[in-house]
Amino acid sequence: MGEPEEVVPGSGAVFTFGKTKFAENIPSKFWFKNDIPTFLSCGDEHTAIVTGNNKLYMFGSNNWGQLGLGSKSTVNKPTCVKALKPEKVKFAACGRNHTLVSTEGGKVYAAGGNNEGQLGLGDTDERNSFHLISFFTSQRKIKQLSAGSNTSAALTEDGELFMWGDNSEGQIGLKNMTNVCVPQQVTVGKPISWISCGYYHSAFVTTEGELYTFGEPECGKLGLPNQLLVNHRMPQPVPGIPEKVVQVACGGGHTVVLTEKAVYTFGLGQFGQLGLGTFRFETSVPKVVEHIKDQKISSISCGENHTALITDIGLMYTFGDGRHGKLGLGLENFTNQFIPTLCSNFLRFIVQLVACGGCHMLVFATPRLGGTEEMELEE
Amino acid sequence: SSEVSEAQTTDSDDIVTPVSLKCPKAGSEKMCIEIVSLAFYPEAEVMCDENVKQVYVEYKFCDVPLSETETPVSLRKPRAGEEIHFHFSKVIDLDPLEQKGRRRFLFAMLNRQDPEQGRLKFTVVSDPMDDENKECQEVGYAFLELWQIMESGRDGVEQELDIVSPEDQATQIGRLKVSLQAAAALHAVYKEMTEDTFS
Ligand SMILES: [Mg+2]
Ligand SMILES: [Mg+2]
Repeated sequence: MGEPEEVVPGSGAVFTFGKTKFAENIPSKFWFKNDIPTFLSCGDEHTAIVTGNNKLYMFGSNNWGQLGLGSKSTVNKPTCVKALKPEKVKFAACGRNHTLVSTEGGKVYAAGGNNEGQLGLGDTDERNSFHLISFFTSQRKIKQLSAGSNTSAALTEDGELFMWGDNSEGQIGLKNMTNVCVPQQVTVGKPISWISCGYYHSAFVTTEGELYTFGEPECGKLGLPNQLLVNHRMPQPVPGIPEKVVQVACGGGHTVVLTEKAVYTFGLGQFGQLGLGTFRFETSVPKVVEHIKDQKISSISCGENHTALITDIGLMYTFGDGRHGKLGLGLENFTNQFIPTLCSNFLRFIVQLVACGGCHMLVFATPRLGGTEEMELEE
Repeated sequence: SSEVSEAQTTDSDDIVTPVSLKCPKAGSEKMCIEIVSLAFYPEAEVMCDENVKQVYVEYKFCDVPLSETETPVSLRKPRAGEEIHFHFSKVIDLDPLEQKGRRRFLFAMLNRQDPEQGRLKFTVVSDPMDDENKECQEVGYAFLELWQIMESGRDGVEQELDIVSPEDQATQIGRLKVSLQAAAALHAVYKEMTEDTFS
């Protein structure tokens, strides 16, 4: 960025981009004293950070109490959720207006908007502090949480998937109900290894590496041929991806899939969020993102209209809607990116974690020791 | 309640935020122009012109290099009913000391004696494909009336401008969406220049 870089400690820093509510939405950074982030999640306008000391920090919009801090006022600085201090927080998932948290002991807590029962507490009353979802006990070890627009999901180490909240589009995969206020198992008879809730659609991966999608059928975001869309309320396998699928990330209208060999995208790409160039703004057939096919991608994240990829050597590529600087590619001049674009700010860092939200993105990166020049030459 | 405020104000000393050395510019010392999106009318001639495959949008602002005021990518020509999205936003420095020329340029526009000059002109350009041996071709113009923004005192968010044909400016061929954050700067420029003129 051409300005003097303040010294980031060897343990790294969290970098904020777009409308985070932090530092007046100017690209910024912060770090923890004697602690490091281990997990990031961005909702529509709020953010959760879990640290190595198993603490939960929240900030951003709070109209529904989704920060779980006991109020509904916006918080513009990462703030520790003291009520959860006795717990060892492990994962967090920010939905559009609610938050899920899991602990090392297998407990799951929820806070925020609840109009479709997405808090899993048996009712539709919103909560501005974290409440225990009694369904989950120490008998189940949580492997992953995900949250969408009024939807929630918890995946166990055993490969069991539970979902709850809005089912108006079939996005929690329960055929006949419009919504459910308590966790329900979603199964295709095989263990599940990855879950992602988008805004109005969802996707999971089986341990065998098969991808399933369900929910809102429009614009190709389920990656299914037309004749299968009639069954969009139940999980269906996505054809056309020959390799084993490892991860999936669902955004507002698009889906990003990481396989053992490549990144595939489908759905809506009017802002470039598919990374398929300037001629294809929608596809229902999974397409390989050619631009990064020589890179080994290790992690993917989708916001509502943008996408971020981390490579195995800790470089980061972003694409999609560039508004508010959420792609991390500039200070005040922005534009949509239609192919994966290297975030050169992070050439001197190893990107460890990324989370994309509605209009923002958070990155945790540690300084790259040596080899900086080589990295720049490669580009 | 007291419990609420306590929850928010305590216990964040464990966060280190380096102090930014950069001082954000005041609203009156910059403006932001965003080329948001464009669509062509289904019946417009450009829609069936097979020579037009992809388009970009540019404008000219005083001494700002053209390379900084054109969308960095060309996008596939929109289909009937489709909108293509650039979201290309540019902040233009209007520092009262360093950018006097730009402030005078703006004042001349605001002082609209000549209606052609009171407007910021956007040009939609057809960009030939790499393998085509052709020149870029202007396919439409859109005009933004800056004085309206100044008079209203409000920034123009996603204003829809008519795109007109270069040959016949009475023929509307589509819509260009632009946003302008400039009300504070325009007000300041106008005030400063009129004071200069009459003092
Ligand atoms: Mg999310
Ligand atoms: Mg998401």
